[in-house]
Amino acid sequence: MRAAIAAHEAGVDVALVTKLHPVRSHSGAAQGGINAALGNETDDNTENHTFDTVKGADYIGDQDAIEVLCQRAPLEVYKLEHWGAVFSRQEDSGKIAQRPFGGAGFPRTCFAADLTGLVILHTLYTVCVKYNIPTYEEWFVTDLVTDDSGNAVGVVAYDMIHGRVETIGAKAVVMATGGAGRVYRPSTNAHASTGDAMSLALRKGVPLKDMEFMQFHPTTLAANGVLVTEGARGEGGYLLNKDGDRFMSTYAPNKLELASRDVVSRAEATEILEGRGIDGCVLLDLRHLGRERIMERLPQIRELAIAFAGTDPIEEPIPVKPGAHYHMGGVHVDHWGAAPHMPGLFAAGECACVSVHGANRLGGNSLLEAVVFGARAGEASAVYAKEAGTPDVPVNAADETQARIEGLLLRENGPRQGAIRDELSTVMQEKVGVFRSDGPLREAKAKVDELRERFQGVVVDDKGKTFNTDLIHTIETGYLLDLADCMVTGAIARHESRGAHSRTDFPDRDDEKWMKHTLAYLDDGEIRLDYSPVAMTKYEPQVRSY
Amino acid sequence: MASTTFRVFRFQPDSGETDAYHQDFDLAHEEKTTVLDALLRIQNEQDGTLALRYSCRSAICGSCACKVNGKTVLACMTQVEVAKAESGSDVVQVDPIGNFAPIKDLVVDMTPFWEKFKAVKPFLIPDGPAPEKERLVPKEAMEKVFKESACILCAACYSECNSLAADPEFVGPAAFAWGYRFAADERDAQRRNRARLYSGEHGVWDCTRCMFCNERCPKGVDPRDAIEKLGAIAFQEKVTKDKGARHAKAFLISMRTGGKLNEQLVGGYTDPVGGAFNAPLALRMLQKGKLPASPLTHRVKNRDQVTKLMKNVKETI
Repeated sequence: MRAAIAAHEAGVDVALVTKLHPVRSHSGAAQGGINAALGNETDDNTENHTFDTVKGADYIGDQDAIEVLCQRAPLEVYKLEHWGAVFSRQEDSGKIAQRPFGGAGFPRTCFAADLTGLVILHTLYTVCVKYNIPTYEEWFVTDLVTDDSGNAVGVVAYDMIHGRVETIGAKAVVMATGGAGRVYRPSTNAHASTGDAMSLALRKGVPLKDMEFMQFHPTTLAANGVLVTEGARGEGGYLLNKDGDRFMSTYAPNKLELASRDVVSRAEATEILEGRGIDGCVLLDLRHLGRERIMERLPQIRELAIAFAGTDPIEEPIPVKPGAHYHMGGVHVDHWGAAPHMPGLFAAGECACVSVHGANRLGGNSLLEAVVFGARAGEASAVYAKEAGTPDVPVNAADETQARIEGLLLRENGPRQGAIRDELSTVMQEKVGVFRSDGPLREAKAKVDELRERFQGVVVDDKGKTFNTDLIHTIETGYLLDLADCMVTGAIARHESRGAHSRTDFPDRDDEKWMKHTLAYLDDGEIRLDYSPVAMTKYEPQVRSY
Repeated sequence: MASTTFRVFRFQPDSGETDAYHQDFDLAHEEKTTVLDALLRIQNEQDGTLALRYSCRSAICGSCACKVNGKTVLACMTQVEVAKAESGSDVVQVDPIGNFAPIKDLVVDMTPFWEKFKAVKPFLIPDGPAPEKERLVPKEAMEKVFKESACILCAACYSECNSLAADPEFVGPAAFAWGYRFAADERDAQRRNRARLYSGEHGVWDCTRCMFCNERCPKGVDPRDAIEKLGAIAFQEKVTKDKGARHAKAFLISMRTGGKLNEQLVGGYTDPVGGAFNAPLALRMLQKGKLPASPLTHRVKNRDQVTKLMKNVKETI
């Protein structure tokens, strides 16, 4: 939506296509906040923000792109405020309040209680309503359309209400479909987070970057993987093991609970593995913050903990564990969101890899990435569209989708998507998790290959045209298989530990051999890897400690 | 482990069956399983044609509102065993949200809901150009609209709304909560115009005050309170020509002068022209003792206490 707003403001015709309704998107589940060095709480600046992000990324983020991100951050936060976002305010000045977050040297995270994502998502939607931007709601994109020269000239989409396939031609396409957290189980991600754009691009020859880097959030609810914001620790929450020790003092003596997410998740996993957890969890203790603070700053967390864990954080600690949360990898694009391998194609947000998060994203940088690179992709696509001629949309663009759907609906006897998805997410959780090593990774790869094979014979129970969720899920499962394959293949090859990719058989970071981006291509059904250099400006790699 | 029979509303237009019906599914499940997880397991394991909307499964995307044993809830936030205990029934009946036309099973046509949302101009309309940095807003002023900002547009309120059941054109609780969210935002410059927009036919005064929206909202938005606050804004902005506003005003005058409701005065003041056409109603009310024969006899003792009460209320608004 940020891209659509930017493109609209740049004077081009733009439409949104979404498989949900815009306000149902998963950005709404982001809780804690959005980073910008406004300096409202302390003397902060964009240089600090840049350094924290470079370090958080474990030196594999592109430094030029991170500079863009941090420099534009204040402007974008102010814009959201001007559009009506209800940011929490400071007591006296009426300025936007900022809270401490993991891996950050200063209180830099702007927030609206613990509903920041919802407020930003809604704010952007209200601007789309104001601008009257046409929206295709519940249209599921099944294909990326290219012309004879390989330029992106639109998408093929399936109207979920009426069950028809249409080609939507366009001079430029901006993809912003979010993450692929559903490759894992449990996951903090929505059911809809199936990484659609990544798979669509991959199938058209566009490489995916740094796919092996999946972030595990340190505080997710044991029952169902629902997120407990980092803001809970930002507000002063403790992590305790079964002995009641604040164990982070062993792993990150300076930043404690507010070390980078990869560091905290590994610490928790180690505590649990070494027998100091409770039922596979550690405890997040907020009691000392007091009722008033919890009600003012973390109301949603309290509500979710009561609903899903049966725990009122005012009274007792919440059992939490690391859970798949954010995917650093994505469609390979530059810092204008443009895909170098396909003119006319742009991507922004979690489905894209610019890369600003490198091997580990800092909390509060994902909403920021979505608005900064959303805006830039919108602007750049508008410039591109103004120069592009009438798109040469092949008349038979929708044929492949049509045939695929008809084939799926006609097929009888075979596995259903649910079983394949469950097995996939389970194996990814078990063997491609917080700690990785060659043996389990290869077992995971074998399982993914087997599931890909079985998926060829998948059947759809629902043969109807109206709101066929079974059909949609089946197509999504195909996307998940593509992405899992990229993740595992990249993880097997990367013989080092960096950020969220932690190999027990290669425990050290290896800058000499591995300070490079992984690029995954799909060639004849097989994932092929290539590599590209990391953009450096002035930040030399250092030992990373918190 | 527990076991439950789910009685699910089915409407399958593709099958040629034009009538809706309920279908039972038996499912063994864990103690804390949510209604959403149970429905997804039914979809995966028993019947792939079952259609429903859902996404985040953490009570924030607003997709999965439905009626569980007659009560509108978010399926993802409702535990099966809790729903059973609350209703005293071993069967969990799942129906689509009310006041909408069905598309398939639990999926309904939400077009009217979104149209009405857009109709309240749900976006900030400030005066003059934006400053270089953020607008300065006192903490309390911003917090004033936090509650309504937490609306996730799930339509649970719309589903339960009795005014909508009587008048499908009624704008509805969620849209008005959003209306209030902007009307009361001190950065917005359209307070008066918004008060006008939200009054009139199908507007804020058409709410029957049944309170079901407050009761059922899964996020504590209290849309009825927002509607009430919009009424207060209408008065502050002197948007009081509307029949509903006149009714409220007549109510107030009646209380102030007599310390008690005077139906004749209220009826006449609310609708001086159309009131005459309500003669049959007045007659019926008179027969049932709901209307005093003379407006002049209508006064309570201790009127000073009523005046004091009204003053207190006025001061707290």
